[in-house]
Amino acid sequence: MSEVKNCHCQGEMSEDDMLRQIDGVLEDYKGGDGALIPVLQIAQNMFGYLPDAVLRRIGEKLNKPHSEVAGVVSFYSFFSTQPRGKYVVRVCLGTACYVRGGKQVLDALKKELQVDVGQTTADRMFSLDVGRCFGACGLAPAIMVNDDVHQRVKPVKLTELLDVYRNKENECAKEVD
Amino acid sequence: MPAEKIRNMKDLDAIRQSVTGAQDGPNAGQEIRVCVGGGCIASGSLPVKAAFEAAVKARGLEGEISVVGVGCLGPCSRGPVVLINKDNVFYESVKPEDAQEVIAKHIIGGEVVERLNWRKESGPPVAAQDDLDFFKRQTKVALRNCGRIDPESIEAYIGCGGYQALGKVLTSMTPETVIEEMKKSGLRGRGGAGFPTWMKWSFARKSPGDIKYILCNGDEGDPGAFMDRSMLEGDPHSIIEGMAIGAFAVGSVQGYAYVRAEYPLAVERFGKAIADARKYGLLGSNILGTKHSFDLEIRMGSGAFVCGEETALIASIEGQRGEPRPRPPFPAVKGLWGKPTVLNNVETYANVAAIMLKGGDWFASFGTEKSKGTKVFALAGAIKNSGLVEVPVGTTLGELIYDIGEGVGDGKEFKAAQIGGPSGGCIPRQHLNVPLDYESLNELGAIMGSGGLVVMDEDSCMVDVARFFLEFVQEESCGKCVPCRVGTKRMLEILTRICEGRGKESDIDTLIELGNQIKDTALCGLGQSAPNPVLSTIRYFRNEYEAHIREKHCPAGVCPGLVRAPCQSACPAGVDVPGFVSLVGERRYAEALQHHRNRNPFASICGRVCFHVCESKCRRASLDKPVAVRGIKRFMADQEVTVQLPEVRENAANAKRKIAIIGAGPAGLSCAYFLARLGYRPRVLEAERRPGGMLVQTIPSYRLPRETVAREIRMIERMGVDIETGKRLGKDFTLAGLRRDGYEAIFVSVGSPKGVTLDIPGADAQGVTDAMTFLKSYNFKGSVPVGQKVAVIGGGNAAIDAARTAIRLGAKSVTVIYRRTMEDMPAFLEEIEEALNEGISIKPLTNPDEIIVTGGKVSGVKCHSMKPGQFDRSGRRRPEKDGTPYVVEADQIIFACGQTLDSSELFDHDELQPISGYRIMANTITGQTSIPWLFSGGDAASGPSSVIHAVAGGERAAVGIDTWLTGGNHAFWRVHQMVDTVYDADADPVAYPRANMPVLSAERRKDNFNEIELSWVEAEAIRQAKRCLRCDYGKVTAEERS
Repeated sequence: MSEVKNCHCQGEMSEDDMLRQIDGVLEDYKGGDGALIPVLQIAQNMFGYLPDAVLRRIGEKLNKPHSEVAGVVSFYSFFSTQPRGKYVVRVCLGTACYVRGGKQVLDALKKELQVDVGQTTADRMFSLDVGRCFGACGLAPAIMVNDDVHQRVKPVKLTELLDVYRNKENECAKEVD
Repeated sequence: MPAEKIRNMKDLDAIRQSVTGAQDGPNAGQEIRVCVGGGCIASGSLPVKAAFEAAVKARGLEGEISVVGVGCLGPCSRGPVVLINKDNVFYESVKPEDAQEVIAKHIIGGEVVERLNWRKESGPPVAAQDDLDFFKRQTKVALRNCGRIDPESIEAYIGCGGYQALGKVLTSMTPETVIEEMKKSGLRGRGGAGFPTWMKWSFARKSPGDIKYILCNGDEGDPGAFMDRSMLEGDPHSIIEGMAIGAFAVGSVQGYAYVRAEYPLAVERFGKAIADARKYGLLGSNILGTKHSFDLEIRMGSGAFVCGEETALIASIEGQRGEPRPRPPFPAVKGLWGKPTVLNNVETYANVAAIMLKGGDWFASFGTEKSKGTKVFALAGAIKNSGLVEVPVGTTLGELIYDIGEGVGDGKEFKAAQIGGPSGGCIPRQHLNVPLDYESLNELGAIMGSGGLVVMDEDSCMVDVARFFLEFVQEESCGKCVPCRVGTKRMLEILTRICEGRGKESDIDTLIELGNQIKDTALCGLGQSAPNPVLSTIRYFRNEYEAHIREKHCPAGVCPGLVRAPCQSACPAGVDVPGFVSLVGERRYAEALQHHRNRNPFASICGRVCFHVCESKCRRASLDKPVAVRGIKRFMADQEVTVQLPEVRENAANAKRKIAIIGAGPAGLSCAYFLARLGYRPRVLEAERRPGGMLVQTIPSYRLPRETVAREIRMIERMGVDIETGKRLGKDFTLAGLRRDGYEAIFVSVGSPKGVTLDIPGADAQGVTDAMTFLKSYNFKGSVPVGQKVAVIGGGNAAIDAARTAIRLGAKSVTVIYRRTMEDMPAFLEEIEEALNEGISIKPLTNPDEIIVTGGKVSGVKCHSMKPGQFDRSGRRRPEKDGTPYVVEADQIIFACGQTLDSSELFDHDELQPISGYRIMANTITGQTSIPWLFSGGDAASGPSSVIHAVAGGERAAVGIDTWLTGGNHAFWRVHQMVDTVYDADADPVAYPRANMPVLSAERRKDNFNEIELSWVEAEAIRQAKRCLRCDYGKVTAEERS
């Protein structure tokens, strides 16, 4: 298993902070052809989701009507207008993983996290999503926790797997204290 | 690091030489290549790499030996993998702690670390990469550098000849000659559709306009495909080089590579490669001192499958919703921002530089008439060696799966290969010989696609697979055109209904009609190809659809609405396995037995001879090994002192109706048993002196003691069934006669008891017999002539039974001759193993040509050794002659090549129509034949099969007869009875390993017919029962809901 990256220890960001940050990004992209999607991707990565205010600011600066921005956001599954968990757990239901028991892994995760697909746990730690093939078919079934790919996942080992992330968070919390 | 620009070819060559000749010393140029492809990283290759680096450093070898992280080497399932370049030794499943040993023993000591070598199931470990079947059958063009160089080092790429092709093109070729070379190569688009690349380039070149774009499609979205990812991660510069050459050919100065957001590592490495190339001036203006300029940017996808379609991809780069638009105009005329645009797949570009350097003719020397070159395939799913391979186009599917992939593994059977993702189709085992090229695959209803090949074994339900793909398409449909948006939705609804057990007879036709309409009318490739997985599974697996619709049964044991537990679903008789197993676990043996006999009267018999399909579907196998269901059953049945009768519903009206059952084998007796439970009093007519059929005639008593059989038959008799022996159909009575005597319904279960001999010279000599005659003669008369040297011809259970009987009767040597491989033998594995233990020799891949007769008597068999050849329609390799003939000495030959039903003896008086060849044609659900009062089941209807299938056939016919006589279905045993055993769903599964049943040692059993298998002690049986994972827990199936 690869190591846990991306410590998300910092607290929630205020809307003004977000707008300030996105303005900085937009400076680089002003007037560029096809800038909308790269900007949205950066914003999604920075904030974990795309708040309405941010979308409106992007539209203003790139000279695009809000309807167009919202249309693009709703089209692509990587964009989310809802806050997500610190760790997005995505279960691959591509063919190979499906054949190898991806569905059982998903069911076990629902039970483990007590959420349905698309939802986030109450502590905002994990969001559960379904993915379509991470290209890890060789070692199916696979799940992704943020950027880490875990392969040959067994439903009975999921608690152990998620604990690595939970512990990471606990350690971070301790350091902050 | 020299960040100086490369101004001309001389500079390029200088770097190349500095890389190749950088080191000196005795170990110069030695590399330890650790795979850092996506698959191996996930298996933990980064710590392995670090461990090697530390080990090299600890020994002060840094200057001489480099540890290189390389792109995908191929066999992902063996990861993390490591290659030692000096002697090309390949190590698999390497752990960080192995690094020290490899350095000390191999790098310094020169001795290969054998325990890390590649091992097949049998045979010695193989050290050298080139000797491994996985590699030696491949031809790497697109993957030429993958696994050889550090993908993050542009110097390494230049060092192995990188950017030479670009240099050659820019300095010595014209756009026209580049396109001409591409034409010669015959390279076709590797994204799936297979459009000739040179044509695309030529169209874009000829399109008027100053600004043209060149795009790379790295939006590899097909589930099961990961070749683009591996190339972007493993050799990014070859794609940049290919694009730069393409740009020169079409006259473009700006390119974009569209890469999925799901591939962060690919984006990172490709991004670094672009930055490095820019730094060296290999991207930018005036490349290599020429007038040509070209630059490249990455655009990341945002999770929309449809963006793999070219017009949608272009819309996405433009920053819009990724919706396709109608073509024409084609992108070559009007593409990105309205300008002429070329869009090719990652793999297509990866081939370009090699073609420019080695020539189009060289590339065209691989492949078939219409499809040239090589193709990368991603092997995934139920295959032993999953990973990335590159083979000449036209390699057969069977070679790919068996020779390179080593087959499906886990003792499962290959069912189909899904190729081409949601746009493709399934290829079943009868077509394993199909050459993998664009045309041949299209003919079979599949497509080459991007090359994702997902292997499915018997555990995949094809209806469910089709439903899965449609669900995928439904979710990914952009919604722009109605056929795709609404049509696939309707198809999905129908498929979901079928999988839930609510299918209608007309559903299959509706799916075909709808599918063809969508194909004709959808806007883009995604929609047009969306029905393919459904149409192709209907084409090859229609029977599975029908089983779901008519029998509410999912043959693979997958569909949750139809499957309570996979073991129960797999049992032909539908025995509630978790039910009786959990009762045994609570020591409630009488209840357990009663529960078992609710669906199968022969608990004691099946505890000894059942071939337990339940175990092969057991989910516990994914944890460790399947639950030992048969052993538990045996123990359970052994606890019974007085035979308890099952629930019988007395019925005066039924008792008066006359039903005859012909043949007292397992099918006939099972039919009688279930009829009796409904209050009927059937009469069973048996030709032989003892009832039991094959149970007493051929199955030897060391496997199945006769008292065991007699006991369960007595139970059936006590339920009001009258069994008469010595009554042979066609001799002692006829069907017409029975009808005249007032029998309303007749069940024919006469089996297929006649042995078959091969039509080879000498087959009629003295000393030749068949297994049926041989076994029956011993089992009934207590004696049979046995030779000193016996040869048994065949590989099924009858062959093994005959061989083991012969050795018990004093044969000095017994040889089993079988023409296919040992793995192909239809006999049960346990039986084969025990036969070997008893000293029987088995000669697989041996074909009998002739029986040698000396002085009127058999003296041997002339044989040919065989080798596995092409795949036949059963998905097995057809044996081909190999080597010179030789003789196996024998004074007795026993043919065990099959059984049949000799219908003429039995039915000549009745002129029966439902006879076809050697089987009686009967409805598989009701057992009814085309003559309404005549029913059939067991081997007579199905052909030679197993005890449990016969039991199931008898039960179905009993219900069929009752329904036909009364107009209603009264099969109360089919209503599921819940067991009230305790189960804690949250507890971890118990850790006890699977135990085998104890057996008598070979010495103690070889000369007698004592039962070989012994029962467990109680504690062991309980432990084994507790291993059950209770897949049935909380399940309600469609049948119960209705």
